[in-house]
Amino acid sequence: MQNRIIEILDSIRPDVDFANEKKLIDDGLLDSFDIVSIISELNDEYNISIRVTELKPENFNSVEAILNLVEKLKASN
Amino acid sequence: MPIFNFDNIKISGMACAMPSNITKTESFKDIFSAEEVDKFMLMTGITETRRTSKYQTASDLGYVAAEKLLQHKNIDRNEIGALVFGTHSPDYRRPGSSSIVHKRLGLSIDTAVFDISLGCSAFVYGIQTVASMMNSSDIKKALLIIGDTTGKTTNPIDRASIMLIGESSVAILLEKTNDASPIISLVRSDGNGYRYLIVPGGAYRNIDASHENEICHDGIERNLHNSIMQGTSVFTFTISDIPKLMKDFWALTNTSVDDYDCYAFHQANLYILQQIAKKLKIPADKMPLTLSKYGNTSGASPIVTLCDTFGNVEGKELNTLFCAFGVGLSWGAFSAKINTSDILPIIEDDSVFEEGIIRSMKEL
Repeated sequence: MQNRIIEILDSIRPDVDFANEKKLIDDGLLDSFDIVSIISELNDEYNISIRVTELKPENFNSVEAILNLVEKLKASN
Repeated sequence: MPIFNFDNIKISGMACAMPSNITKTESFKDIFSAEEVDKFMLMTGITETRRTSKYQTASDLGYVAAEKLLQHKNIDRNEIGALVFGTHSPDYRRPGSSSIVHKRLGLSIDTAVFDISLGCSAFVYGIQTVASMMNSSDIKKALLIIGDTTGKTTNPIDRASIMLIGESSVAILLEKTNDASPIISLVRSDGNGYRYLIVPGGAYRNIDASHENEICHDGIERNLHNSIMQGTSVFTFTISDIPKLMKDFWALTNTSVDDYDCYAFHQANLYILQQIAKKLKIPADKMPLTLSKYGNTSGASPIVTLCDTFGNVEGKELNTLFCAFGVGLSWGAFSAKINTSDILPIIEDDSVFEEGIIRSMKEL
Protein backbone atom coordinates (compact mmCIF):
# COMPACT_ATOMS: atom_id res chain seq x y z
CA MET A 1 0.00 0.00 0.00
CA GLN A 2 2.89 2.35 0.75
CA ASN A 3 4.11 2.28 -2.86
CA ARG A 4 0.62 3.06 -4.13
CA ILE A 5 0.34 6.00 -1.74
CA ILE A 6 3.67 7.33 -3.01
CA GLU A 7 2.35 7.01 -6.58
CA ILE A 8 -0.73 9.04 -5.63
CA LEU A 9 1.36 11.70 -3.92
CA ASP A 10 3.78 11.88 -6.86
CA SER A 11 0.89 12.39 -9.26
CA ILE A 12 -0.18 15.46 -7.27
CA ARG A 13 3.22 16.96 -6.48
CA PRO A 14 5.92 15.34 -8.65
CA ASP A 15 8.48 17.86 -7.38
CA VAL A 16 8.42 16.60 -3.76
CA ASP A 17 10.56 13.69 -2.52
CA PHE A 18 7.76 11.89 -0.70
CA ALA A 19 9.81 8.76 0.03
CA ASN A 20 12.23 10.71 2.21
CA GLU A 21 10.51 13.87 3.45
CA LYS A 22 9.31 13.60 7.06
CA LYS A 23 7.95 17.14 7.58
CA LEU A 24 5.70 17.69 4.59
CA ILE A 25 3.36 19.96 6.54
CA ASP A 26 5.70 21.40 9.18
CA ASP A 27 8.12 22.53 6.46
CA GLY A 28 5.34 23.97 4.29
CA LEU A 29 5.99 21.65 1.33
CA LEU A 30 2.27 21.08 0.75
CA ASP A 31 -0.39 23.79 0.49
CA SER A 32 -4.12 23.50 1.13
CA PHE A 33 -4.93 22.51 -2.47
CA ASP A 34 -2.31 19.75 -2.28
CA ILE A 35 -3.74 18.41 0.97
CA VAL A 36 -7.28 18.39 -0.36
CA SER A 37 -6.16 16.72 -3.59
CA ILE A 38 -4.39 14.03 -1.57
CA ILE A 39 -7.44 13.52 0.66
CA SER A 40 -9.74 13.26 -2.32
CA GLU A 41 -7.52 10.70 -4.07
CA LEU A 42 -7.07 8.63 -0.90
CA ASN A 43 -10.83 8.68 -0.22
CA ASP A 44 -11.50 7.34 -3.72
CA GLU A 45 -8.66 4.83 -3.80
CA TYR A 46 -9.36 3.23 -0.43
CA ASN A 47 -13.09 3.93 -0.05
CA ILE A 48 -12.54 5.89 3.15
CA SER A 49 -13.69 9.30 4.34
CA ILE A 50 -10.96 11.50 5.78
CA ARG A 51 -12.82 14.05 7.93
CA VAL A 52 -11.80 17.49 9.15
CA THR A 53 -10.95 16.04 12.57
CA GLU A 54 -8.11 14.08 10.95
CA LEU A 55 -6.55 17.26 9.54
CA LYS A 56 -3.56 17.29 11.85
CA PRO A 57 0.01 17.83 10.65
CA GLU A 58 1.07 14.56 12.29
CA ASN A 59 -1.28 12.68 9.93
CA PHE A 60 0.23 14.17 6.78
CA ASN A 61 3.89 14.90 7.58
CA SER A 62 5.21 11.73 5.92
CA VAL A 63 4.19 8.78 3.77
CA GLU A 64 4.31 6.59 6.88
CA ALA A 65 1.91 8.91 8.72
CA ILE A 66 -0.50 8.95 5.77
CA LEU A 67 -0.29 5.15 5.54
CA ASN A 68 -1.13 4.84 9.26
CA LEU A 69 -4.13 7.15 8.82
CA VAL A 70 -5.45 5.20 5.83
CA GLU A 71 -5.02 1.86 7.63
CA LYS A 72 -6.79 3.22 10.72
CA LEU A 73 -9.73 4.48 8.69
CA LYS A 74 -9.96 1.29 6.64
CA ALA A 75 -10.02 -0.75 9.84
CA SER A 76 -12.83 1.37 11.27
CA ASN A 77 -14.95 1.10 8.10
CA MET B 1 -33.69 14.84 9.53
CA PRO B 2 -34.80 18.34 8.38
CA ILE B 3 -36.29 17.54 4.98
CA PHE B 4 -39.09 19.83 3.79
CA ASN B 5 -41.68 19.36 1.06
CA PHE B 6 -43.60 22.30 -0.39
CA ASP B 7 -46.32 21.31 -2.87
CA ASN B 8 -47.89 24.67 -3.60
CA ILE B 9 -44.99 27.09 -3.90
CA LYS B 10 -43.15 28.07 -7.04
CA ILE B 11 -39.95 30.00 -7.71
CA SER B 12 -41.40 32.37 -10.29
CA GLY B 13 -38.57 34.80 -10.85
CA MET B 14 -34.92 35.54 -10.19
CA ALA B 15 -32.61 38.47 -10.87
CA CYS B 16 -28.99 39.29 -10.10
CA ALA B 17 -27.21 42.62 -9.72
CA MET B 18 -23.49 43.13 -9.55
CA PRO B 19 -21.08 46.06 -9.70
CA SER B 20 -19.42 46.94 -13.00
CA ASN B 21 -15.93 47.18 -11.48
CA ILE B 22 -13.83 44.23 -12.65
CA THR B 23 -10.70 43.01 -10.85
CA LYS B 24 -8.48 40.81 -13.01
CA THR B 25 -6.85 37.96 -11.10
CA GLU B 26 -3.68 38.54 -13.17
CA SER B 27 -3.39 41.95 -11.53
CA PHE B 28 -2.52 40.26 -8.22
CA LYS B 29 0.86 39.37 -9.72
CA ASP B 30 1.87 42.84 -8.53
CA ILE B 31 1.37 41.65 -4.92
CA PHE B 32 1.91 37.88 -4.95
CA SER B 33 4.29 35.70 -6.97
CA ALA B 34 3.33 34.91 -10.58
CA GLU B 35 3.62 31.20 -9.80
CA GLU B 36 1.20 31.54 -6.88
CA VAL B 37 -1.36 33.50 -8.92
CA ASP B 38 -1.12 31.08 -11.86
CA LYS B 39 -1.69 28.10 -9.55
CA PHE B 40 -4.64 29.89 -7.95
CA MET B 41 -6.24 30.53 -11.35
CA LEU B 42 -5.67 26.92 -12.40
CA MET B 43 -7.22 25.47 -9.23
CA THR B 44 -10.09 27.90 -8.73
CA GLY B 45 -10.88 28.79 -12.35
CA ILE B 46 -11.21 32.45 -11.34
CA THR B 47 -9.81 34.97 -13.82
CA GLU B 48 -11.80 38.01 -12.74
CA THR B 49 -14.26 39.18 -10.07
CA ARG B 50 -16.57 42.13 -9.42
CA ARG B 51 -16.17 44.45 -6.44
CA THR B 52 -18.39 47.11 -4.94
CA SER B 53 -17.18 50.66 -4.29
CA LYS B 54 -16.58 51.86 -0.73
CA TYR B 55 -20.18 52.71 0.16
CA GLN B 56 -22.06 50.29 -2.09
CA THR B 57 -23.56 47.43 -0.10
CA ALA B 58 -25.23 44.08 -0.63
CA SER B 59 -28.56 45.79 0.10
CA ASP B 60 -27.96 48.29 -2.73
CA LEU B 61 -27.46 45.41 -5.16
CA GLY B 62 -30.33 43.42 -3.64
CA TYR B 63 -32.66 46.39 -4.00
CA VAL B 64 -31.74 46.80 -7.68
CA ALA B 65 -32.29 43.09 -8.37
CA ALA B 66 -35.62 43.03 -6.50
CA GLU B 67 -36.88 46.24 -8.13
CA LYS B 68 -36.08 44.90 -11.59
CA LEU B 69 -37.76 41.60 -10.77
CA LEU B 70 -40.95 43.22 -9.47
CA GLN B 71 -41.16 45.41 -12.56
CA HIS B 72 -40.42 42.57 -14.96
CA LYS B 73 -43.05 40.32 -13.36
CA ASN B 74 -45.50 43.21 -13.00
CA ILE B 75 -46.06 42.42 -9.32
CA ASP B 76 -48.34 44.50 -7.11
CA ARG B 77 -46.05 45.41 -4.19
CA ASN B 78 -48.94 45.18 -1.73
CA GLU B 79 -49.09 41.47 -2.45
CA ILE B 80 -45.56 40.83 -1.12
CA GLY B 81 -46.14 39.26 2.30
CA ALA B 82 -42.55 38.51 3.26
CA LEU B 83 -39.10 39.92 2.51
CA VAL B 84 -36.16 37.92 3.84
CA PHE B 85 -32.53 38.95 3.31
CA GLY B 86 -29.76 36.35 3.72
CA THR B 87 -26.42 38.07 4.25
CA HIS B 88 -23.25 38.32 6.27
CA SER B 89 -22.65 41.81 4.92
CA PRO B 90 -25.43 43.92 6.48
CA ASP B 91 -25.49 47.70 6.08
CA TYR B 92 -25.51 48.13 9.86
CA ARG B 93 -25.23 46.03 13.01
CA ARG B 94 -28.86 46.97 13.30
CA PRO B 95 -31.38 47.22 11.75
CA GLY B 96 -31.19 44.35 9.32
CA SER B 97 -30.66 45.05 5.62
CA SER B 98 -34.14 43.67 4.90
CA SER B 99 -35.59 46.80 6.57
CA ILE B 100 -33.62 49.06 4.22
CA VAL B 101 -34.80 47.14 1.15
CA HIS B 102 -38.37 47.09 2.50
CA LYS B 103 -38.34 50.90 2.62
CA ARG B 104 -36.68 51.33 -0.76
CA LEU B 105 -39.06 48.94 -2.53
CA GLY B 106 -42.05 50.67 -0.96
CA LEU B 107 -43.56 47.47 0.41
CA SER B 108 -46.58 47.39 2.68
CA ILE B 109 -46.40 47.31 6.49
CA ASP B 110 -48.21 43.99 6.20
CA THR B 111 -44.92 42.34 5.31
CA ALA B 112 -42.83 39.99 7.45
CA VAL B 113 -39.29 41.40 7.15
CA PHE B 114 -36.07 40.03 8.65
CA ASP B 115 -32.49 38.99 7.92
CA ILE B 116 -30.95 35.54 8.01
CA SER B 117 -27.34 35.49 9.21
CA LEU B 118 -25.80 33.04 6.76
CA GLY B 119 -23.20 33.19 4.02
CA CYS B 120 -22.66 30.66 1.26
CA SER B 121 -25.61 28.46 2.29
CA ALA B 122 -28.04 31.38 2.65
CA PHE B 123 -29.94 30.59 -0.53
CA VAL B 124 -30.95 27.03 0.39
CA TYR B 125 -31.80 28.05 3.95
CA GLY B 126 -33.62 31.12 2.65
CA ILE B 127 -35.83 29.10 0.32
CA GLN B 128 -36.63 26.66 3.13
CA THR B 129 -37.48 29.54 5.50
CA VAL B 130 -39.60 31.60 3.11
CA ALA B 131 -41.44 28.57 1.72
CA SER B 132 -42.18 27.38 5.28
CA MET B 133 -43.59 30.80 6.17
CA MET B 134 -45.76 30.84 3.06
CA ASN B 135 -46.90 27.29 3.70
CA SER B 136 -48.26 28.18 7.12
CA SER B 137 -49.77 31.58 6.32
CA ASP B 138 -51.91 33.44 3.81
CA ILE B 139 -48.82 34.95 2.15
CA LYS B 140 -49.16 34.52 -1.61
CA LYS B 141 -45.98 36.21 -2.77
CA ALA B 142 -42.60 36.69 -1.09
CA LEU B 143 -39.15 38.00 -1.89
CA LEU B 144 -35.89 36.38 -0.87
CA ILE B 145 -32.73 38.43 -1.29
CA ILE B 146 -29.25 36.98 -0.92
CA GLY B 147 -26.00 38.88 -1.17
CA ASP B 148 -22.60 39.59 0.30
CA THR B 149 -19.73 42.01 -0.13
CA THR B 150 -17.12 39.83 1.54
CA GLY B 151 -14.25 41.68 -0.15
CA LYS B 152 -14.80 44.54 2.31
CA THR B 153 -13.70 42.37 5.24
CA THR B 154 -10.95 40.50 3.43
CA ASN B 155 -7.42 41.67 4.11
CA PRO B 156 -5.97 42.95 0.80
CA ILE B 157 -2.82 40.86 1.30
CA ASP B 158 -4.72 37.67 2.22
CA ARG B 159 -3.61 35.52 -0.71
CA ALA B 160 -5.88 32.69 0.44
CA SER B 161 -9.06 34.75 -0.06
CA ILE B 162 -8.61 38.10 -1.76
CA MET B 163 -8.46 36.62 -5.28
CA LEU B 164 -11.41 34.30 -4.57
CA ILE B 165 -14.09 36.79 -3.59
CA GLY B 166 -16.69 38.26 -5.91
CA GLU B 167 -19.57 40.50 -4.83
CA SER B 168 -23.19 40.35 -5.92
CA SER B 169 -26.79 40.17 -4.71
CA VAL B 170 -29.75 38.26 -6.09
CA ALA B 171 -33.53 38.48 -5.65
CA ILE B 172 -35.88 35.53 -5.89
CA LEU B 173 -39.68 35.74 -6.14
CA LEU B 174 -41.74 32.92 -4.63
CA GLU B 175 -45.44 32.54 -5.34
CA LYS B 176 -48.14 30.30 -3.96
CA THR B 177 -49.89 28.47 -6.77
CA ASN B 178 -52.01 25.37 -7.29
CA ASP B 179 -49.99 24.11 -10.26
CA ALA B 180 -46.52 24.12 -8.70
CA SER B 181 -44.11 21.21 -8.86
CA PRO B 182 -42.87 20.33 -5.38
CA ILE B 183 -39.89 22.08 -3.83
CA ILE B 184 -38.04 19.55 -1.67
CA SER B 185 -35.37 20.86 0.69
CA LEU B 186 -32.77 19.21 2.94
CA VAL B 187 -30.54 21.28 5.24
CA ARG B 188 -27.72 20.41 7.64
CA SER B 189 -25.33 22.15 10.04
CA ASP B 190 -22.24 21.46 12.12
CA GLY B 191 -21.39 24.18 14.63
CA ASN B 192 -18.14 22.39 15.45
CA GLY B 193 -16.79 24.14 12.37
CA TYR B 194 -17.74 27.65 13.50
CA ARG B 195 -14.10 28.78 13.38
CA TYR B 196 -13.40 27.55 9.87
CA LEU B 197 -14.94 30.66 8.29
CA ILE B 198 -15.10 33.54 10.71
CA VAL B 199 -14.72 37.28 11.29
CA PRO B 200 -13.69 37.11 14.97
CA GLY B 201 -13.90 40.78 15.98
CA GLY B 202 -16.28 43.69 15.81
CA ALA B 203 -19.47 42.01 16.98
CA TYR B 204 -20.59 41.53 20.55
CA ARG B 205 -18.09 38.83 21.67
CA ASN B 206 -15.09 41.13 21.21
CA ILE B 207 -16.49 44.52 20.38
CA ASP B 208 -13.20 46.40 20.81
CA ALA B 209 -11.06 43.89 18.92
CA SER B 210 -7.73 45.24 17.66
CA HIS B 211 -7.37 46.36 14.04
CA GLU B 212 -3.64 45.57 14.07
CA ASN B 213 -2.48 42.91 11.65
CA GLU B 214 -1.04 39.70 13.08
CA ILE B 215 0.63 36.72 11.44
CA CYS B 216 -1.90 33.88 11.32
CA HIS B 217 -1.27 30.11 11.47
CA ASP B 218 -0.92 30.02 7.67
CA GLY B 219 1.69 32.78 7.63
CA ILE B 220 -0.74 35.38 6.25
CA GLU B 221 -1.24 38.77 7.93
CA ARG B 222 -4.79 39.59 8.98
CA ASN B 223 -6.58 41.39 11.79
CA LEU B 224 -9.54 40.37 13.90
CA HIS B 225 -11.99 42.29 11.71
CA ASN B 226 -11.01 40.32 8.61
CA SER B 227 -12.67 37.25 7.12
CA ILE B 228 -10.55 34.23 7.92
CA MET B 229 -10.98 30.93 6.11
CA GLN B 230 -9.23 27.74 7.14
CA GLY B 231 -9.13 26.56 3.56
CA THR B 232 -8.00 22.99 4.12
CA SER B 233 -10.70 22.35 6.72
CA VAL B 234 -13.42 23.91 4.57
CA PHE B 235 -12.32 22.02 1.46
CA THR B 236 -12.12 18.74 3.36
CA PHE B 237 -15.62 19.26 4.77
CA THR B 238 -16.91 20.04 1.29
CA ILE B 239 -15.49 17.04 -0.55
CA SER B 240 -16.77 14.61 2.08
CA ASP B 241 -20.08 16.09 3.31
CA ILE B 242 -21.51 17.49 0.08
CA PRO B 243 -21.41 14.20 -1.89
CA LYS B 244 -23.01 12.53 1.15
CA LEU B 245 -25.75 15.18 1.26
CA MET B 246 -26.50 14.72 -2.42
CA LYS B 247 -26.64 10.93 -2.17
CA ASP B 248 -28.97 11.22 0.85
CA PHE B 249 -31.15 13.70 -1.05
CA TRP B 250 -31.46 11.36 -4.02
CA ALA B 251 -32.28 8.44 -1.71
CA LEU B 252 -34.90 10.42 0.25
CA THR B 253 -36.58 11.66 -2.93
CA ASN B 254 -36.25 8.42 -4.90
CA THR B 255 -34.36 10.26 -7.60
CA SER B 256 -30.91 9.90 -9.13
CA VAL B 257 -28.31 12.01 -10.86
CA ASP B 258 -30.07 11.56 -14.22
CA ASP B 259 -33.38 13.01 -13.01
CA TYR B 260 -32.15 16.60 -13.02
CA ASP B 261 -31.44 18.89 -15.96
CA CYS B 262 -29.31 21.35 -14.06
CA TYR B 263 -27.10 21.30 -10.94
CA ALA B 264 -26.95 24.88 -9.65
CA PHE B 265 -24.18 24.68 -7.08
CA HIS B 266 -22.53 27.27 -4.88
CA GLN B 267 -19.53 28.43 -6.90
CA ALA B 268 -16.91 27.70 -4.23
CA ASN B 269 -13.99 27.08 -6.57
CA LEU B 270 -13.42 25.05 -9.70
CA TYR B 271 -11.38 22.32 -8.06
CA ILE B 272 -13.99 21.64 -5.38
CA LEU B 273 -16.85 21.55 -7.90
CA GLN B 274 -14.92 19.22 -10.20
CA GLN B 275 -14.24 16.89 -7.26
CA ILE B 276 -17.91 16.86 -6.26
CA ALA B 277 -19.07 16.32 -9.85
CA LYS B 278 -16.59 13.47 -10.30
CA LYS B 279 -17.69 11.72 -7.12
CA LEU B 280 -21.38 12.08 -7.97
CA LYS B 281 -20.97 11.42 -11.71
CA ILE B 282 -22.70 14.70 -12.57
CA PRO B 283 -22.11 15.43 -16.28
CA ALA B 284 -20.17 18.65 -16.83
CA ASP B 285 -22.86 20.04 -19.15
CA LYS B 286 -25.42 19.83 -16.32
CA MET B 287 -23.35 21.88 -13.88
CA PRO B 288 -22.98 25.46 -15.15
CA LEU B 289 -19.91 27.32 -13.91
CA THR B 290 -19.35 31.06 -13.70
CA LEU B 291 -16.25 31.16 -11.51
CA SER B 292 -14.07 32.49 -14.29
CA LYS B 293 -16.13 35.69 -14.59
CA TYR B 294 -17.46 36.33 -11.11
CA GLY B 295 -15.44 34.28 -8.59
CA ASN B 296 -17.03 33.03 -5.38
CA THR B 297 -20.02 35.31 -4.78
CA SER B 298 -21.04 33.62 -1.50
CA GLY B 299 -24.74 32.79 -1.08
CA ALA B 300 -25.77 34.50 -4.31
CA SER B 301 -23.62 32.27 -6.51
CA PRO B 302 -26.16 29.60 -7.61
CA ILE B 303 -28.49 32.36 -8.88
CA VAL B 304 -25.63 34.39 -10.35
CA THR B 305 -24.83 31.27 -12.34
CA LEU B 306 -28.40 30.71 -13.54
CA CYS B 307 -28.80 34.39 -14.50
CA ASP B 308 -25.53 34.30 -16.44
CA THR B 309 -26.25 30.97 -18.14
CA PHE B 310 -30.00 31.16 -18.79
CA GLY B 311 -30.79 34.88 -18.51
CA ASN B 312 -31.49 35.12 -22.23
CA VAL B 313 -33.02 31.67 -22.75
CA GLU B 314 -36.80 31.62 -23.20
CA GLY B 315 -39.26 28.95 -22.19
CA LYS B 316 -37.03 26.04 -21.19
CA GLU B 317 -38.11 24.13 -18.09
CA LEU B 318 -35.21 22.96 -15.92
CA ASN B 319 -35.60 20.37 -13.19
CA THR B 320 -32.93 21.93 -11.02
CA LEU B 321 -31.06 20.66 -7.98
CA PHE B 322 -29.56 23.49 -5.97
CA CYS B 323 -26.77 22.93 -3.46
CA ALA B 324 -24.90 25.37 -1.23
CA PHE B 325 -22.44 25.06 1.64
CA GLY B 326 -20.20 27.17 3.84
CA VAL B 327 -19.91 29.25 6.99
CA GLY B 328 -21.40 27.77 10.12
CA LEU B 329 -20.73 25.16 8.93
CA SER B 330 -24.04 24.81 7.17
CA TRP B 331 -25.10 23.16 3.95
CA GLY B 332 -28.18 22.06 2.10
CA ALA B 333 -29.86 21.19 -1.16
CA PHE B 334 -33.27 21.61 -2.70
CA SER B 335 -34.97 20.68 -5.94
CA ALA B 336 -37.32 22.90 -7.94
CA LYS B 337 -38.57 23.29 -11.47
CA ILE B 338 -37.39 26.57 -12.96
CA ASN B 339 -38.62 28.08 -16.22
CA THR B 340 -35.81 29.97 -17.92
CA SER B 341 -38.27 32.71 -18.91
CA ASP B 342 -38.34 33.57 -15.19
CA ILE B 343 -34.56 34.11 -15.09
CA LEU B 344 -33.43 37.66 -15.83
CA PRO B 345 -30.03 38.42 -17.34
CA ILE B 346 -27.36 39.90 -15.05
CA ILE B 347 -27.78 43.58 -14.22
CA GLU B 348 -24.75 45.83 -13.70
CA ASP B 349 -25.32 48.61 -11.20
CA ASP B 350 -23.06 50.89 -9.16
CA SER B 351 -25.67 53.00 -7.40
CA VAL B 352 -25.46 53.71 -3.67
CA PHE B 353 -28.30 54.49 -1.26
CA GLU B 354 -26.85 57.87 -0.26
CA GLU B 355 -29.44 58.44 2.47
CA GLY B 356 -28.13 55.32 4.19
CA ILE B 357 -24.58 56.70 4.66
CA ILE B 358 -24.64 58.22 8.13
CA ARG B 359 -21.35 60.06 8.62
CA SER B 360 -22.29 61.95 11.78
CA MET B 361 -24.70 61.47 14.66
CA LYS B 362 -26.02 64.93 13.81
CA GLU B 363 -27.57 63.43 10.69
CA LEU B 364 -29.88 61.23 12.77
